[in-house]
Amino acid sequence: MKILIVEDEVLLAMELESEIEAAGHDIVGLAADSREAKDLIDSVRPDFAFVDIQLIDGPTGIEVGRHLSAKSIPYVFVSGNLKRIPEDFAGAVGAIEKPYTMNGLQNALSFIESFVAGKSDEKTPPPSLVMSPEVLAKIAA
Amino acid sequence: MDQENDFRDAQDAGDRLIAAHASEDPFAAAFKATRMPMIITDPRQYDNPIIFSNDAFTKLTGYSRDELIGRNCRLLQGAETDPEAIAKLRTAISEERDLSIDILNYKRDGSTFWNALFVSPVRDETGEVIYFFASQLDFTNIKSKEAELAAARHMAEQEVARRTVDLTAALTTKTALVHEVDHRVKNNLLTIASIVKLQARMTESDVVERTLMSVLNRVEALSTVQRKLLNDEDVGHFDVADFANDLATDVIGALKRTDIVLTTDLREVVVPATKASPLALIINELVGDAVRRGLRDGGGEIHLEVRRLNGHFLIRVVDTVTPVDVDREEAAFSQKMLEACLQQLRAKLERRVEGRLTEVSVTLLVKD
Repeated sequence: MKILIVEDEVLLAMELESEIEAAGHDIVGLAADSREAKDLIDSVRPDFAFVDIQLIDGPTGIEVGRHLSAKSIPYVFVSGNLKRIPEDFAGAVGAIEKPYTMNGLQNALSFIESFVAGKSDEKTPPPSLVMSPEVLAKIAA
Repeated sequence: MDQENDFRDAQDAGDRLIAAHASEDPFAAAFKATRMPMIITDPRQYDNPIIFSNDAFTKLTGYSRDELIGRNCRLLQGAETDPEAIAKLRTAISEERDLSIDILNYKRDGSTFWNALFVSPVRDETGEVIYFFASQLDFTNIKSKEAELAAARHMAEQEVARRTVDLTAALTTKTALVHEVDHRVKNNLLTIASIVKLQARMTESDVVERTLMSVLNRVEALSTVQRKLLNDEDVGHFDVADFANDLATDVIGALKRTDIVLTTDLREVVVPATKASPLALIINELVGDAVRRGLRDGGGEIHLEVRRLNGHFLIRVVDTVTPVDVDREEAAFSQKMLEACLQQLRAKLERRVEGRLTEVSVTLLVKD
């Protein structure tokens, strides 16, 4: 998958990048603020995105999420405060809570892979991945 | 009619009233002598004048009997008297009804007093109202105490409101601060993990990489504690079972083996935040030990239990694996970590090995 990372902490973005690459995906962009993120979404059209909520220009990750959702690009939030996520998850598939562990991230990644590939019935989501109510209902159905 | 005539008519009426009662009439004597201020008015005369007043009334108002006879009671009213009370009084008299009312009245010297006034019509045999009887009660003291109380209450309420605003602001600041600190701690823990991982990825030495990953593993256990704390209003508490479930699921899941059977018996055990880290590290070491002894290399079974047992708190890990050689240094380090955490919690550990099965039970006392 072509993946976009929206994260304002460079070290965290770098490590997330190497984990995602290790799982066999391509990072097509790193964005640290919402404008950069939206420009990248429009220009490179990623298949999936990881979006931090608190960015350089404020808690604008939600807005970035809605932009992705409007373009039907699946994504997850990556945040230290899941309470900031709106009830409808702003169209996100789910959320990974910081600080995540290497194992937790890898398990979330493999679940996301099968979910995006439409094989969501394979297993239940790992504890490290909080699914949106909409997706949870879809999995249960 | 001029005032002189009015006075004489009222005086006559008063005299007639007195004359109708023998001087030894106990009721008349009582009326004159009582400490309750009282007056009688004659509604059949023009403007319903006072025709009789007692000494107590004079004492209260400062008006002599001569100054009262022939005058309407409104001489007691003044600028601050409530017009609504006056209107009620007037209506009661014109409708010939009883009335009990609190009214602000004025004394002869212009000072005010609160008057608990009772007015009642007196009828003759035919039912015609021939007198109005009025008794007064000065309750200025009570009224001023009431006012003092009301003022004090008002001040107290204002003070409470002011302090509530202060406290709410302080609480908002505190909550924001706690969230900010929590956010920073979480971010720092993830940054520490990222630094360790970055170096582990860059090193060409297997030993360095293994060492760094071993450090990362413990840092991540603490990260998970921080993530599991403070997730609701129950700040400073930690559910050991919830943590154990996440840890075991994540560790086993990340091994990506289909030949591992994980079973659990996890009951909620909430402990104070101070016990969270050593407990988390104990569970991390126990699960990690099973992984290193064979689960990672050959699969097997692992059972994890967290529950209360006879006033104790039990963590039990049972695994069945095909044993592999473990790195002695790593095993010794894990053992040291485990011992330190057990010592901190004053917990006891029992280990039983039977063939491929290893059972470890950790018990400690917890307060309910």
